[in-house]
Amino acid sequence: MYDLRIVVEEIRGFCDLPMKPGDYIEVKGGRLHIPDGKFFCLWALQSLMPMIPAKQRNIVEENDWLPDTQRMVCPDPDGQVIFRFERMPCSDSPSERATASDAAARPTTRPTTAGAQRPTGRAEPPNRLLVNESVCSGCRACELACSFAHDRVYSPEVARINVAKDEAAGLDRPVVCRQCGVARCVQACPEGALTRDPATHSVVVDADRCTGCAACAEACLFGAVRLSAATGRPLICDLCGGSPACVEQCPTGAVRYGRAGKVAAGGGRS
Amino acid sequence: MSANGGYAGRVLRVDLARRAWRTEPLDPAAALRYIGGRGLNMDLLYREVAAGTPGLDPANRLIFGVGPLNGTLFPGAARFNVSAMSPQTGILGDSNAGGFFGPELKFAGYDQVVLEGRADSLIYLLITEDGVQFRPADDLRGLDVWATDAAIRAELGDDRAQVAVAGPAAECGVKFAGIFANLVRAAARTGMGAVMAAKNVKAVAVRGLRPVTVADPERFAGLLEGLNAEIKAHPDYQSRRALGTTRLLASLNNLGALATRHYQTGRFEAAPEVSGEALAERFRTKGKACFACPIPCSRFFRVTDGPFAGLASEGPEFEGLAGFTSRVGNTDLALGLKAVDLCNRYGMDVIGTSEVISFAMELRERGIITDAEADGLELTWGNGRTILALIEKVANREGFGDVLADGVRAAAARIGRGSEVLAMHVKGLEFFQAEPRGLKGYALGLAVASRGGDHLRSEPSFEFSNDGVAGQRRFGATEAAFRLEYKGKGRLVKHFEELCALADSLNACKNTVVNMEAIDFDRAAEFLRAATGLAFDGAGVQRACERTVNLERLYNAREGLTRADDRLPDRFVKEPLPADSGPSAGSVVELEPMLDEYYAARGWDLKTGLPSPAKLTELGLEAEAGQARLRRTSD
Repeated sequence: MYDLRIVVEEIRGFCDLPMKPGDYIEVKGGRLHIPDGKFFCLWALQSLMPMIPAKQRNIVEENDWLPDTQRMVCPDPDGQVIFRFERMPCSDSPSERATASDAAARPTTRPTTAGAQRPTGRAEPPNRLLVNESVCSGCRACELACSFAHDRVYSPEVARINVAKDEAAGLDRPVVCRQCGVARCVQACPEGALTRDPATHSVVVDADRCTGCAACAEACLFGAVRLSAATGRPLICDLCGGSPACVEQCPTGAVRYGRAGKVAAGGGRS
Repeated sequence: MSANGGYAGRVLRVDLARRAWRTEPLDPAAALRYIGGRGLNMDLLYREVAAGTPGLDPANRLIFGVGPLNGTLFPGAARFNVSAMSPQTGILGDSNAGGFFGPELKFAGYDQVVLEGRADSLIYLLITEDGVQFRPADDLRGLDVWATDAAIRAELGDDRAQVAVAGPAAECGVKFAGIFANLVRAAARTGMGAVMAAKNVKAVAVRGLRPVTVADPERFAGLLEGLNAEIKAHPDYQSRRALGTTRLLASLNNLGALATRHYQTGRFEAAPEVSGEALAERFRTKGKACFACPIPCSRFFRVTDGPFAGLASEGPEFEGLAGFTSRVGNTDLALGLKAVDLCNRYGMDVIGTSEVISFAMELRERGIITDAEADGLELTWGNGRTILALIEKVANREGFGDVLADGVRAAAARIGRGSEVLAMHVKGLEFFQAEPRGLKGYALGLAVASRGGDHLRSEPSFEFSNDGVAGQRRFGATEAAFRLEYKGKGRLVKHFEELCALADSLNACKNTVVNMEAIDFDRAAEFLRAATGLAFDGAGVQRACERTVNLERLYNAREGLTRADDRLPDRFVKEPLPADSGPSAGSVVELEPMLDEYYAARGWDLKTGLPSPAKLTELGLEAEAGQARLRRTSD
């Protein structure tokens, strides 16, 4: 996968919005980012839209035109605003990132297929933690199961899962690492202290390299990473090596381990 | 010898007048004698609150206590006890609640918090492992429980802080005002909220960052695994998940033992419309649980139609649900939910509130009072407008509400005209929504309970089992297993009182410990050993619980109570349940023979109902007994 920056390269006609050369939007995962104080033309966007998921992906078909297509023009014949797609490295694997950077540096060259695939291949995608907050009773036993599994103490403060609550509204939301395909925490780490476990695909913290800078916590889109008050190091779910204690403890099936749409461990208890 | 797990090991002393605090180490010997929670609270209360101390006096102590298993994964160890001299009953005050406050106190590193004296202006306390902050609460004056909780969490900027609140009813001096945490988790009984408000403390917020450790983690985890498996395999597990205590409304009604129109009968014709099943089907959105509990027996609901559409809250439990339906003759489920919600927001006990309202309705039905005395409210059964208006009037001590706000005993004393015999209380405390004539063991439990009319001091649910063989084996009488029989009930209640003392001293839940009998004393000792490393054994744990019950008896004896106070309202011992009470029809409570059996089982004097010297010696309570006499002679 790639993140994208879509830049206004040139305006050959007249854009009355007006877009200006250098204006851009970024696409990170499923999120569209518009720089603060800027805007983006809806009419241009709707025509760019089909290209976005295509340009995010690595296409290995030799004869496909998409990998080589870098520019699109606004459909308004008066405007002739030309947009350029830039791919930004986004894998959380250092080797993949290196490859992707090369590809970005040589935009007309197709990325190589080697190293661009999922580490575990396509056959069996790794299990993830699945959350169903609509059945979560809010008991927080998952937090204690987590801290006990890791540290042999009962302490929500060092748990890698926590249940966010709105008691007046009756909401209970287990907040936990979702094992993102492209993990922003891993990307964000300036020390390279976060890597992926090859077996479970969980994010692994190298405590020796970690400086406790909290970049990972800030980067997590789910608010699932926080620093331990005790150690100053990030608390990131390690899936207990493949049998998560929180899932085992959960009495309602609000936290399960598997793939969406398939029968998952911890499910069906309610 | 000191504990190396389980306990936090610290008692926090808060001097409200001087706005100072200090910690003391928890005495391990006291821990072995009383386990924790209610037991340790009683020990401290007995020693530090002199006989005759008025409940609202600064000399009263308000003690928050948790047990050695709070904060661990022990199922349902989510509760906290609050104890003080009760301003409502003038005897022992004690109440507990679930939710998340108790464990948070433990994570902050305290087994007990003792509030002493009175602050000179309204404050709230922020308790952390580093001590106490005394924060002004002038802006919170008069705010309801929900608004106070929200304001404090917002001020602290930490939604993981847990807040125990005295609502506006407590501030107005309503004697059955409780202390509420997690909006609806109420330490409702015996007026502990009124005590807190009298100390000028609007709320206690707590945030804890410490871990709770156990002495032998592998052993403790192994014990937990076994216990959790048993709980999930228990025949009650599924129905408790689905309905929790609200299942009692329909089941008690089927037995003809549901408090209906102020205990005039045991069957409510509209029960199917207001039952836990109806609530689940119409309004329940999902199951809710206290901290770390494997049984999501509570529920969140949202009313979807009618005049109360949009009303949403966690709750209610059986006591609130039946209190504002069958007890007051109300057939409108949503109205009942609204009434419970009002009580929660004002911070009042649903049992006390529903009693004073249903009491007034019966007085009006019998021509003892008129609507005019009730500020023109029509005191007819199930009158929704009256029910809601009276809750507001009681909470604010307005008009007729002021008459009711000190509890039913005081209300009857003010009204007079023979109303006293219709005031349903024991020792000044109103009681639950089951019909005592249909549950003889529970009836005995109400009569002897140390905090007054209270089912949660014994909960002898074994009497529903109909297992005569077990009754004979466990309590020496097949009848002990049958709810309408009275033989064996003295021994039954003694046993279950001690099991309840165990649950309260662990600050675990009675649903599991008592009703499901998930652990016995030996099993509890195993957990306590693994958690604390202290030398608990089964006999010692049982004795600790028995000691607590006896100490509570001494506490009330010091206030002058004897066997003569172990009584029930005349209705339950003299008037048979009417014919429409189905299988319970014709029943009365044979209280005296049950009392004799109970005192004999307890080793108490049959005449006075007080612990015998031999029993006090056996339990190591000689000093306490001596102190009681000393205080009495020095009065």
